Amino acid sequence: MHKSRFGWAILIVVVGLLGITWIAYSRVPPSGPGDIGELTEAPLPGYRAPEFSLTTTIGEVVSLSDYAGRPVVLNFWATWCPPCRAEIPHFQESSVKYNGRAVILGVDQGEPLPIVSDFGSALGVTYPLLLDSDNAVNREYSVSALPTTIFVDGDGIVREVYSGIVNRAVLEDRIEKLLAEG
Amino acid sequence: MLPNISLGPLVIPSNGLVFIIGVWIALTVVERSARKLELNSETTYSLAAVSLAAGFIGARLVFVLLHWNAYKVNLSGIIWPLTSGYDLWGGLVIAIAAGFFYGRAKQVPTASTLDALAPGIVTALLVVSLSDFLAGPGYGIETSLLWAIDIYGIDRHPVQIYEMIVAAVALVVWRISLPYRTFDGQLFLITLAVYGGGRLIVDAFRANTWLTNSGIHVIQVLSLAIVLASLFLLARNSTAAVDESQFIADKVDL
Repeated sequence: MHKSRFGWAILIVVVGLLGITWIAYSRVPPSGPGDIGELTEAPLPGYRAPEFSLTTTIGEVVSLSDYAGRPVVLNFWATWCPPCRAEIPHFQESSVKYNGRAVILGVDQGEPLPIVSDFGSALGVTYPLLLDSDNAVNREYSVSALPTTIFVDGDGIVREVYSGIVNRAVLEDRIEKLLAEG
Repeated sequence: MLPNISLGPLVIPSNGLVFIIGVWIALTVVERSARKLELNSETTYSLAAVSLAAGFIGARLVFVLLHWNAYKVNLSGIIWPLTSGYDLWGGLVIAIAAGFFYGRAKQVPTASTLDALAPGIVTALLVVSLSDFLAGPGYGIETSLLWAIDIYGIDRHPVQIYEMIVAAVALVVWRISLPYRTFDGQLFLITLAVYGGGRLIVDAFRANTWLTNSGIHVIQVLSLAIVLASLFLLARNSTAAVDESQFIADKVDL
C-alpha cells in the first residue's frame, strides 16, 4: 500500500493525462449528426416523439406535427383518474400563461366524447382534449400508468417522461427550459 | 426495460419502488460497514438517515424557493405530489451540511465515518443506475457489440449495466482494502477514486448525458476531478503515514 511520493506523483500525472485523453476522445462533435435515436420514433428521451393525429372534443383533427417549432406537453389522462383531475388545473393555468408559445395537449385514454367533453367543461379546460378512443396513441407512447406527461421540444424530440402528477412549478420549469432552448 | 410494475390493478413506477428499496439497502450497508470499522453503528446509521431525510426535504424546499411564484398560489403543492419537484444540487448541499452538523453534534470521527459511508453511497448510486435501466432514461450510444441491448429498435450500449458494474467493483475494492487500511478516510478515498475512474470511462458510452457547448461530457470532467483529488489526498495521507511510522521506528532504534 505504501508508495513513495515520486510514485504517487507519477500515478497522478499518468491518470490525469489518460483521463484528459479519454475525455477528448469521447467528446461529441457539436456539428456532427445527432444520436440516431432522433431519427427513430419512441416515447423515450432523446428519441423523436411518435407522430399521431387525433380528434379533439370540438371535432378538430390535430397532429403532433402541427405544433412543430414549439414545445409540446402531452398529458395522458382519464376522467376516472383522481391524480389526473388534481393536475389538470395546473395544465390549464400554464396553457393560459404560455398562450400558444408552448402547447398543452390532453390525451384522454379511451373514453367516449360526451364524458370527456363534460369533464373538460366542468373544469374549465380550454386547451385541446384529444380522444384516443382505441388507445392507439396511448400504446404508441407506452402509457401504462396515469397520469403520464411527456415533454417534447420544438424539434419534436422527447425530452422528459413523467409518471405521476406534475405540479405547476415542475410544469413551468420544464416549459421555460424548452422555450429558452428555443 | 420495466418502467412500471403491475400488481393486479395497481401499477407502481419501478424507479420509485427501486429507490425505496435502495435507500433501505444503502442504510443497511452503512450500518454493517460501521460495525466492521468498529464505529458506533447506530450513530453512523442515524447520520446517514438524517442526511438522506435532510437532502430529500432540502431538495424540495430549494425547488419551492426557486419556483415560489408557482407555489404561492398553490401552497398544498409544496407537500403533494411527491413524485416530482426537487432540486438535486440544493438537496445534495443540504444533505452534506446536515450530515456534517449531525456528526459534529454527536462527535463522530469524520474520516472513519466517511469510510463507513462510502459503500452506502456507492450502493445508492448502483440503485440509481438500476432504476435508470428499468425506467429507460440514461441509455447508451448505438453499438453493434454482442452485448448491446435493443431499445426501441436500436442496439445500444447497456450503459446503466456498465455503471452498476463500476459500483460493484468499487464495493469489492472497499472490502478488499479493509484489512490494509492505514489511516482514517483511506477507504472512502479509494472507493471514490475507483468509482470516479469507472464513471470517467463508462460515461463516454452514454447517449443522453450532460454536455458542454463543445460536446464534452460534464460527468467525465467531474469524475476526473474526483479521481485526481482522491489520489492527491491518498498520496498526502499515505506518505504522512509512512513518515510517521518511519519516525516511530527511528525512535525505537534510538
